[in-house]
Amino acid sequence: MKGYRALARATAKAALAYRLSLLLGMGAVLGQLVALLAVWGVILARSPVNGFTWPQMRAYLLVAFAAGTVVSILGDFRMASRILDGDVALDLVKPIDYQKARLAESLGGLWIEILLIAAVIGVVVALTGGVDIPAGPALALFAASMLILVPLKFLIVYVSTLACFWTQNFMGVQWARLAVVNLLSGALIPLVYLPHWLATAAQWSPFAGLTSTPALIFLGRVHGREALVLVAVQLGWVLVLWFGARLVWRAALRRLTVNGG
Amino acid sequence: MRLYLRLLGAHFRSLLEYETDFLILVAATVLMQVINIVFLAALFAKVPAINGWTFWSVLMMFGAVALAEGVGSLFFDGMWNLAWMINRGDLDYYLVRPYPVVLQVSSHWLGINGLSNIVTGSLMIGAGLAHSAIDWTPWRAAVGVLLLISSIVIKVSLNLATNAVCFWSTSPSPMFAFAMHQVGDLARFPLSIYPVALKAVLGLALPFAFISFFPIAYLLNTGSSRWLGLLTPLVAAYCVGMAALIFKRGLRRYESAGN
Repeated sequence: MKGYRALARATAKAALAYRLSLLLGMGAVLGQLVALLAVWGVILARSPVNGFTWPQMRAYLLVAFAAGTVVSILGDFRMASRILDGDVALDLVKPIDYQKARLAESLGGLWIEILLIAAVIGVVVALTGGVDIPAGPALALFAASMLILVPLKFLIVYVSTLACFWTQNFMGVQWARLAVVNLLSGALIPLVYLPHWLATAAQWSPFAGLTSTPALIFLGRVHGREALVLVAVQLGWVLVLWFGARLVWRAALRRLTVNGG
Repeated sequence: MRLYLRLLGAHFRSLLEYETDFLILVAATVLMQVINIVFLAALFAKVPAINGWTFWSVLMMFGAVALAEGVGSLFFDGMWNLAWMINRGDLDYYLVRPYPVVLQVSSHWLGINGLSNIVTGSLMIGAGLAHSAIDWTPWRAAVGVLLLISSIVIKVSLNLATNAVCFWSTSPSPMFAFAMHQVGDLARFPLSIYPVALKAVLGLALPFAFISFFPIAYLLNTGSSRWLGLLTPLVAAYCVGMAALIFKRGLRRYESAGN
């Protein structure tokens, strides 16, 4: 346990040491927030579309921003280059579990991310107006959903990074993942706007848990049993991916050849 | 020129060695553009137009950005390695070779993803043009080609300028350039939707809007600032000048890593 805590602290320290990189790294998600706020601000100024009013869409986009920013100080690039270089061999001889160690690393920066999210939300709310906070039970469920999002996001990135055992091209894998997640999680556009078949598929995929589920609960667009089912799906995917990742890892290790040195 | 293509050709051959990697990258970039199109289609299925801009016109703006980015990746991708080269002191080798340093840097790598972005971007522009009511005259066609070339020049110059900032920062990765690249993505939407401050940034400070919005507004004759598109070649010349100046100043500051 102490080992994992040290890894988590190391991430936070690295993030604080390279503050500018940290802020610039948020650029992609922040840019998308600004663009989408502007687009929807113009569209919804006249009338609601698909049942979304402007304040609701604003809240949706803010949740999407928060969901897109947590667990983003990832060691995924580092993990990828260590696999490609063969340095991963050194990680293997350490007396800690590889998957848990990577999880600890990505959790380390969480508090910094939460501070940044709070700052951005504060600025957006000050500039464009307030957001309705849901009532007690819905708020609790929203919090639970955001909490489950953390391991879910880690696992999706982790599994896709393991692809480096099969391909040299981490960049391509990462781009593809980002694009798919952006669409199917509902971060780019709420899932109800997509064609029905695609929306349904996305709803049951692990990606919906990355934005759509917490956002819809926050807006009160889903409640009661329906909301509980969505959160259960989210949790189910965490379990599936956690143990699935172990299988992938085992298969990956069998492929690993590290040149001596 | 011939030398430049030969330098790129060498990288191209080395890329072809890794066939699956090549395919993954191409598939990923195509996927990214497909998802952009799905997003736009889903958005415009519910609303006919944003500030007078239809699906096809916004598709053209997305296409113009993709095309300019594609040319930047395919022919000038090495710029993105500048930060790393400065950090490692690798620029020393380039300084002693009898070929302009900028060109050696930009031909240092070839982003094959550029190829798919050029194709998808052109298709998006083509589809947008096919669905627009432009009455084509030779003059308009010639201006269109000139605007297209200028828009690509602007993108490449902005890439160089923002990457050359690495001469002053110590970071081994082009974080600043990458963040500015993200800012540029804002210009894929009609500029009129943004608040004044952002309009000033995208139109003046970092003229990303001249890559997509202004030229297309001129061609489609839509929006309140349609004539500004004609300034695109001037903006391109300005960007080239600024990028060259920043790079030159930066190079003068360069002091190796001391191997």
